[in-house]
Amino acid sequence: MSRKLVIDPVTRIEGHGKVTVQLDGNNKVVGARLHVVEFRGFEKFIQGHPFWEAPMLLQRICGICFVSHHLCGAKVLDDIIGTGHSTGRNITVTAEKMRRLGHYGQQLQSHVTAYFYLIAPEMMFGMDAAPEQRNVLGMVEANPDLVKRVVALRKWGQEVIKAVLGKRMHGISSVPGGVNNNLDIAARDRLLNGEDGLVGIDQVIEYAQDGLNMFYDFHEKHRDMVDRFGVVPALNMSLVDEDGNVDYYHGKMRIVDADKNIVRDLDYHDYLDHFDEATEEWSYMKFPYLKDIGREEGSVRVGPLARVNVTKSYGGDTPLAQAALERFHDYTKGKANNATLHTNWARAIEILHSAELIRNLLKDPDLQKDDLLVTPPKSDWTGEGIGVVEAPRGTLLHHYRANPEGNIEFCNLVVATTQNNTVMNRTVTSVAEEYLSGNELITEGMMNAIEVGIRAYDPCLSCATHAMGQMPLIVSVFDAEGKLLDECIR
Amino acid sequence: MNAFADIKPPPLADYNHADCMVYGIGNIGRQDDGLGWAFIDWLEGSGLCDMARTTRHYQLHLEDADLISTCRKVLFVDATKVADVTDIRLENVSPKLDFSFTSHALSIPAIMATCQQCFDRVPDVQLLTIRGYEWELQEGLTEDAAANLQTAIEFFSQRGP
Repeated sequence: MSRKLVIDPVTRIEGHGKVTVQLDGNNKVVGARLHVVEFRGFEKFIQGHPFWEAPMLLQRICGICFVSHHLCGAKVLDDIIGTGHSTGRNITVTAEKMRRLGHYGQQLQSHVTAYFYLIAPEMMFGMDAAPEQRNVLGMVEANPDLVKRVVALRKWGQEVIKAVLGKRMHGISSVPGGVNNNLDIAARDRLLNGEDGLVGIDQVIEYAQDGLNMFYDFHEKHRDMVDRFGVVPALNMSLVDEDGNVDYYHGKMRIVDADKNIVRDLDYHDYLDHFDEATEEWSYMKFPYLKDIGREEGSVRVGPLARVNVTKSYGGDTPLAQAALERFHDYTKGKANNATLHTNWARAIEILHSAELIRNLLKDPDLQKDDLLVTPPKSDWTGEGIGVVEAPRGTLLHHYRANPEGNIEFCNLVVATTQNNTVMNRTVTSVAEEYLSGNELITEGMMNAIEVGIRAYDPCLSCATHAMGQMPLIVSVFDAEGKLLDECIR
Repeated sequence: MNAFADIKPPPLADYNHADCMVYGIGNIGRQDDGLGWAFIDWLEGSGLCDMARTTRHYQLHLEDADLISTCRKVLFVDATKVADVTDIRLENVSPKLDFSFTSHALSIPAIMATCQQCFDRVPDVQLLTIRGYEWELQEGLTEDAAANLQTAIEFFSQRGP
């Protein structure tokens, strides 16, 4: 008799998804899917709003990567009023650096959340540990000093965001054509030097290095599992600068294959010429792919693993991250890395990279200058814009069209988690085949292995669709006719 | 009013110190989920507790362990949909690692236990819950929730013993 295993909801991710695994009569995995079963509809209800409201409203899609949505929307607005990189009349140096500072601050705190709160418990306790222990509160009990450092890191990242956007969450900094404030010296100094209750930049970098070392230790002890877990193919995509190095705020989209050959370099304004989106009746989340290559071969991976695969270098300004990147590149001997759990390695490198980038910006006097805004003449109004940034989870795209009255008539959001939809499903299938096939009984550890595979992508189903409420884990086993055979809840 | 028979009304003077905090939890965009923030609005406007620090957040985060580690007393104020709270409830809270953590929710006892474990201290904590009824995407309290808020205000406006 064939069986279907359902993990619903998947825990410790941002949002609500479920996994079904179909087993045949011999308990061999014959199919696995990640379903995203919620609907949010931001693209629809932004319609009719004044264009300048979009970066404020659309950042509310998420409580984690709101700065990315805010900045992406701001870049669209730059296009709409006739400024920004694509027009040849870019926003001011200070405005762009302020945006970057907020962006890097959010990447740091978002990655710290994912890496330490959601992923580290598996590193510390193992995938078979009881769920009551295998979470951040288990870490509080086992290693309070580590949690204290993590709290300090996240708090510092939030203070960077607050210094730029005015609030720790859902603040406002970017406006069409620039920003509304620079960085005052007092805020700069407390971020650099720390104060009572707030660490300084040197400690942040030290803690970031500790986080990376935590991965190295884990990798050393569990090398076979980490290297073999969920190794799945995909093209890798990231924004890069003219030198082919990752640029989290702006650049061209670069897509590379397993040998790091460039498959595509494209101006993101042309994304509709290159990408199509498939749909499935079992998920609200779409499946983007390069239309000329096709869905199977043309799906991309985005996010930390993709970025460290695509980028050639971090340059000399962030030497600690550069050294870590070189070690990462050496491990796969110049090939793209397809190991799902190495995403956590890449994420730890990017925490360090973000910290070094922030340090460099905090020491940059451009951030105290007053030239914040470019205001083009009304005749330059284009009424349409596209913005892309590298959000913590990967490439994020906003596209709006506004009517002559300035009200939005069209909105399309392609978020990182959506880009990763196909590769996440491949990971679920790979892990299910490895851990579930041939087993009579489904253990807690097996179920968690599937969650670990998904969690490596830090999927934000809130961004992709919707998120609300409690997230218990419900596992249901069905026979081929859909009859419920067993169910348990944790 | 049903829920604080065992706890005497705390005069706001007890909280009117720089090492005290009143922390509103909720979301004003979700109707009665805004009760916690509404209480803070009243407190700040009343001038009755100007020395205390006030803060508002959508939900608790682990960083709140660090935040409350600097306090001697903390009053959390939150909306509740628990039916046996007729209007308001005030209770003392003790630290407990209840393993409630998800990326979206963390309990007050867990925050206190984290504070204790990581910072070697924990403040006295009380939780004021105010009964709410509607949680849809809309600003503004329902009439019944506003009445319960008023009950909380009158309760805290009483002179202490």
